[in-house]
Amino acid sequence: MDEDKRIVLENLNVRYSGMETSQLKNININTPIGQIIGIVGNSHSGKSTLCRVLAGIIPKIISATISGTYTIAGRSPMDDWTAFNTSTGVVLQNPAGQLSGLADTVADELAFDLINQGTSADVISKRVANVAAQMGLTDQLRQKPESLSGGQMQRLAIATAIITQPQILIMDDPTSEMDPVGRQQFFHWLTTVKDTTVFIVSSEIDDLCEVADSIWIMSEGELVSQGSPQDVFNHLSPEWQIPTPTVYQMAEKMNWRLTGDVFPVAAEELKEAFDATN
Amino acid sequence: MPQIELHNLQFAYPEKSFNLNVEQHLFSDSMTAIVGQNGAGKSTIFKLLTGLLKQDAGRITIDGVVLNDFKPSERLKKIGITFQNPDDQLFNATVKREVEWSLSQVNSDKDQNAARAVEVLKKVGLADKSDENPYDLSLSERKLLTIATVLAVDPEIYLFDEPMMSLDWPSKRMVTDIFRELSATGHQVITITHDMDWVAEEFHSVTVMEHGEIKFSGTPRDLFGDRELLQRVGLLPPKIMELAEMLGDSKTYLSPQDYQNQNIVQ
Ligand SMILES: Nc1ncnc2c1ncn2[C@@H]1O[C@H](COP(=O)(O)OP(=O)(O)OP(=O)(O)O)[C@@H](O)[C@H]1O
Ligand SMILES: Nc1ncnc2c1ncn2[C@@H]1O[C@H](COP(=O)(O)OP(=O)(O)OP(=O)(O)O)[C@@H](O)[C@H]1O
Ligand SMILES: [Mg+2]
Ligand SMILES: [Mg+2]
Repeated sequence: MDEDKRIVLENLNVRYSGMETSQLKNININTPIGQIIGIVGNSHSGKSTLCRVLAGIIPKIISATISGTYTIAGRSPMDDWTAFNTSTGVVLQNPAGQLSGLADTVADELAFDLINQGTSADVISKRVANVAAQMGLTDQLRQKPESLSGGQMQRLAIATAIITQPQILIMDDPTSEMDPVGRQQFFHWLTTVKDTTVFIVSSEIDDLCEVADSIWIMSEGELVSQGSPQDVFNHLSPEWQIPTPTVYQMAEKMNWRLTGDVFPVAAEELKEAFDATN
Repeated sequence: MPQIELHNLQFAYPEKSFNLNVEQHLFSDSMTAIVGQNGAGKSTIFKLLTGLLKQDAGRITIDGVVLNDFKPSERLKKIGITFQNPDDQLFNATVKREVEWSLSQVNSDKDQNAARAVEVLKKVGLADKSDENPYDLSLSERKLLTIATVLAVDPEIYLFDEPMMSLDWPSKRMVTDIFRELSATGHQVITITHDMDWVAEEFHSVTVMEHGEIKFSGTPRDLFGDRELLQRVGLLPPKIMELAEMLGDSKTYLSPQDYQNQNIVQ
């Protein structure tokens, strides 16, 4: 198989320093790059820990014992973190903790990474204006980052992650404080970025089913399910305590099925199942 | 049921980038959701209701008494809050101390407070974290801890700023059960949220904010039935309505169950 075009995790185990048991247990993945991967699971299941590994934050910034391997397009953050880091955009679970603390305005915060990368002033001002418009922050550009509302702060965290146009996006619950329209626009935008690998942790199962190529379910540090949204949500184990998407619930109540006797999980599939029945 | 009234309330942040302006509003339902776009002023109104920010003009009264006339301990028994970002309100060295500290603001009996802290931490599922530093908890656990600190004091009015943020499904169910119990026992629960499915399913009353003003107050059915209004204030209906609409049906549905009830002929 062509390692250059795949994400490969082999027997990956992670144990934070000082802990007796592993927080990630024997994770195995072999999947193409350039897709949207939705990561779902309950509290403490290891979603953020997995994000930290994917971004190289573990072991570079947070120390932990790792065994097994992780490569994406043939590269590993463990080999050359600095180079790896410039190709990733990361949104942490707590956006307020992600501010540089060095910028007086939202505009400066947005420009920060571009300046560090030596981007020209022209390009910077264009990109700042574009990404601010995209994320609904145009009116906030002159405001102090610390004074933003929770949802505005989260929009800023996303904007700073995407402004460098990285090949890999790692986003940990990036829309938890976003309003419904902003959330919908953001998930739609994800489908428009081509040739980018997106790892997104979210509890917005309805949105994930519309945009994700693949869903990974975490439970107690293990990757217990992976596959297409339709596959995964038609085979949930009650133990994982994960709900089905609204499309599925509606179809189940109305008994609208797809061929193969499965329930739809996304809007287009729902239409298909509806048309087949009505 | 306690009543909160706002009269000609005005507030602006120092940079004047944002103005809040509420002519007249009454919160009097046992369970109200406040919804609206990011930056609409939802958290700002909560900060005014708890005296954390001081209005530039106008008046807030609770059961006819002006908010600023309450003694601090009286006010804490009237109205309690959990913040959107738990880090803005947690500062004690252990989880248990955090709850006991809240209680100490309204009650000086240490033994009673210690017993009460054990009780509420159990209620939110944090009993086994009592001796940990709140800083070491996950975000969802810190959110639950803020809920425990206000449950401990048991005010008449509870303000929750995005309580479900980052919680998993079992915790969301637990918190919904706690809200139902509070509203059934004579408390007033006011919750800020972006989850329209939850609003449609659980709440009797919803208030919409936009650009620092209150634009709607009524039932979820009336709000979600008015597409023109939703568009104007930049909101979406619950997911089930979006799906029904795609199938050519623009009636108002509050949940998949509601859809089934209205569409399956018995
Ligand atoms: N820095 C750390 N040091 C030690 N243990 C940690 C650390 N961060 C997380 N853990 C532990 O690792 C396990 C997995 O945590 P993780 O944060 O990855 O879960 P999660 O799925 O992201 O949960 P949530 O939905 O609450 O965000 C938990 O048991 C947690 O207590
Ligand atoms: N300290 C401050 N100084 C200046 N402007 C502020 C300050 N705090 C908040 N604002 C601005 O006031 C407006 C209202 O903020 P608020 O936090 O009340 O919004 P919100 O409705 O709670 O939004 P969200 O859904 O994102 O939490 C926002 O535009 C915000 O940027
Ligand atoms: Mg997490
Ligand atoms: Mg807010």
